[in-house]
Amino acid sequence: MAKIKFKKLRLTKKVFSFPYILFLLLFVVIPLVLILVNAFLDSDNNLTLENFKTFFTSRANLIVLGNSLLVGVITTAFCLLIGYPVAYFCSKMSSGRILVLLYILPMFVNFLIRTLATKAIFIAIGVELGMGTVLFGMVYNYLPFMILPLHTTISSIDKSYAEAAQDLGASKATVFFKTTLPLSTSGIISGITMVFIPTISTYAISQLLSNGKIFLFGDSIQLSFEQGLYGVGSIMSLVMLVFVLVSNLIMNAFNSNADAVRRSLW
Amino acid sequence: MKKSVKLIFVIAIIACLLLPLLSACNKSEDGTSVTDELVIYNWEDYIDTTLVDDKYKNEENNFINYYKKITGRDLHITYTTYDTNETMMTKVLKGDANVDLICPSDYAIEKLMKAGCLLSQKDIYNELKPKLEELGIDFAGMSSIGNGAGNIDDEVLAVITETFSEVKVGDKGYTEFMTPYMWGTLGILYNVNVVSEEELEEKGWGILWNVEGKTTGKNEKLENKILMKDSVRDTYAAAVLYMKEYELLPEGYEDYSISQLINCTDDEMLKAAEKVLTEQRDHISGYEVDFGKDDMLNEIVYADFAWSGDALWAIEESYDEETEEYLLGYYVPEIGSNIWYDGWCIPTSVNNRLAAMMFIDFMCDPMSAARNSMEIGYTSAADKELLQNDDEVCEFLEENDYDVDEYFEDEGRYPEINDSLGVMRDFGARSEALVGMWQRAKSGNGVSPVLWWCLLGIVGGVGLALCVYFVVQALRYRSRNLGKIADKSNDSTNE
Repeated sequence: MAKIKFKKLRLTKKVFSFPYILFLLLFVVIPLVLILVNAFLDSDNNLTLENFKTFFTSRANLIVLGNSLLVGVITTAFCLLIGYPVAYFCSKMSSGRILVLLYILPMFVNFLIRTLATKAIFIAIGVELGMGTVLFGMVYNYLPFMILPLHTTISSIDKSYAEAAQDLGASKATVFFKTTLPLSTSGIISGITMVFIPTISTYAISQLLSNGKIFLFGDSIQLSFEQGLYGVGSIMSLVMLVFVLVSNLIMNAFNSNADAVRRSLW
Repeated sequence: MKKSVKLIFVIAIIACLLLPLLSACNKSEDGTSVTDELVIYNWEDYIDTTLVDDKYKNEENNFINYYKKITGRDLHITYTTYDTNETMMTKVLKGDANVDLICPSDYAIEKLMKAGCLLSQKDIYNELKPKLEELGIDFAGMSSIGNGAGNIDDEVLAVITETFSEVKVGDKGYTEFMTPYMWGTLGILYNVNVVSEEELEEKGWGILWNVEGKTTGKNEKLENKILMKDSVRDTYAAAVLYMKEYELLPEGYEDYSISQLINCTDDEMLKAAEKVLTEQRDHISGYEVDFGKDDMLNEIVYADFAWSGDALWAIEESYDEETEEYLLGYYVPEIGSNIWYDGWCIPTSVNNRLAAMMFIDFMCDPMSAARNSMEIGYTSAADKELLQNDDEVCEFLEENDYDVDEYFEDEGRYPEINDSLGVMRDFGARSEALVGMWQRAKSGNGVSPVLWWCLLGIVGGVGLALCVYFVVQALRYRSRNLGKIADKSNDSTNE
């Protein structure tokens, strides 16, 4: 008996993944199960569907959700509009790697400290805190997540495609739209995923940069849990999870090569 | 052979991982001297740390020193903090908090007590009596052990007893479960250069809504420079008081007393409160629980809805030595306010009952009370006259540049307790409705127009860029075709 058991415990490379699998089970899977269970319980631990009703019939909750999604979309759009040219020109320059590093440099500072500093600057120059400052903070915080995958993809595009297009007489704009842009779709997709998904769930940035006046979905979840409303809070977390999954699926459907980029990135 | 080597390797790795754990266990087991443990779970910044910190072990006013003197045993204090009652309650209610002492507020004590999470201090006292006689202490300072008010202020205790008279677990009353620690009011912390006293008197709570006064007019400087508390109970109290002051209460509630109003969570009241809180959003800078004092001192905002202790602390900080004036002031509107207190309680998870009780008693000592009060700015629940007549306390205050008479006559610190001050109760099952109201009030009426404009701008910008691109492409294509046609016609003429 003992011999058989020993046979199963072989020291292969796989063994080294066990600690992380254990970690995942403990801190990802179990909490998710807890959320799922809590979603169907009321405050006295009875089985109920009331939480779903409370959430989906409340106009305020849906407004907050809509606000968060819009903030996510806008932040992603701004990040893409700002990030793409940066990544494009950095990949064209010989010193591009260092430039990209400069863009990522702010990430070395903890994001809370960065956000507090941003707030202090806004107050010092007399900008009124509100939606505008929140959007600024979001774009500022998530821009590196857009630039990095874009830079990796664009710089890995074979230059001969563009050269071939140029040889065939295409103008600069056509070269860009016909070769570079289509070939960098995977980078765009993974950039969008990496910005959109965290932005719809943030709460600290919105809270700090608007003095708590802008109330996003993340804030709403936090408030529910803080006030001991585990049922509704869990439903909100589930809704958030659904959005994350759906956006992931859409992104993957757009491009199945995105994985390759992510692998090269991290 | 090979397999066994691998096995040893695995075991070695596991051993390495577990070693620190094991050694940690050993230490506490064979440690040379046996040390008693006391785990305190208190509000942030809510004690004079010299009283509990290991570093000040040798000072006379340190609890560890006091404990050693009485019992002859060493004590190790683990001091942890929380920032809202709810955080603490969640832990205690779920049984996750392995602590000996907590310091909840009025309504939180009620909730914990009803949930059976607290132990009666009177019972513990009776249980420990023989031991106490042996040690020569009697806990005379505590109000919870059934020997009168002890060192606690009679008036404060009377308010508590009256409010919670019908709250009982079995035959045990509310006051058996807690010994008051600090108390105070809710009010308005204001900048004296922006908000005048006439304005305060005329507008009262309306200051926080920046209403237009009949004689004082609208204060333009104050617009968007007001902070509210990011805490549903306090903000709700403010909304209710504001509604009473400006006769915005729903029908039938006009005759309610302040205490009844603060604790009324009927649907109509919630609806009315939601309306005024939503209106308020347009006039304030935001919601805070921690940075209000600093923003007031830095003149980023000019009015803040504040707890009296925070306010007194901020006022003292705002003293300008050049002009010899205070920048900030604290005002409790005459219509009424909330009176709150925090009390020491012993949860069921207590391990060291004697140390916990001794600690509460130690906190009731006039000297400890004075030290805490001076350090954190809040008003100690210890009897005012007792403190006033204690020479040591007076000496201590004078040492720290306080005028003793002024200190005890400060209305912000020691307000007159009357019917216009109401205590908050546990809302029970209605808390959910209240949080829902708060969520709605905070989320506002709809999607922010800024977002729509941004979205429109982005879509428009991208669309415009694409249009330009296609137009340019089309033009170029056309000119190329024209060129070809021209070439062709050239060719034909040549023929």
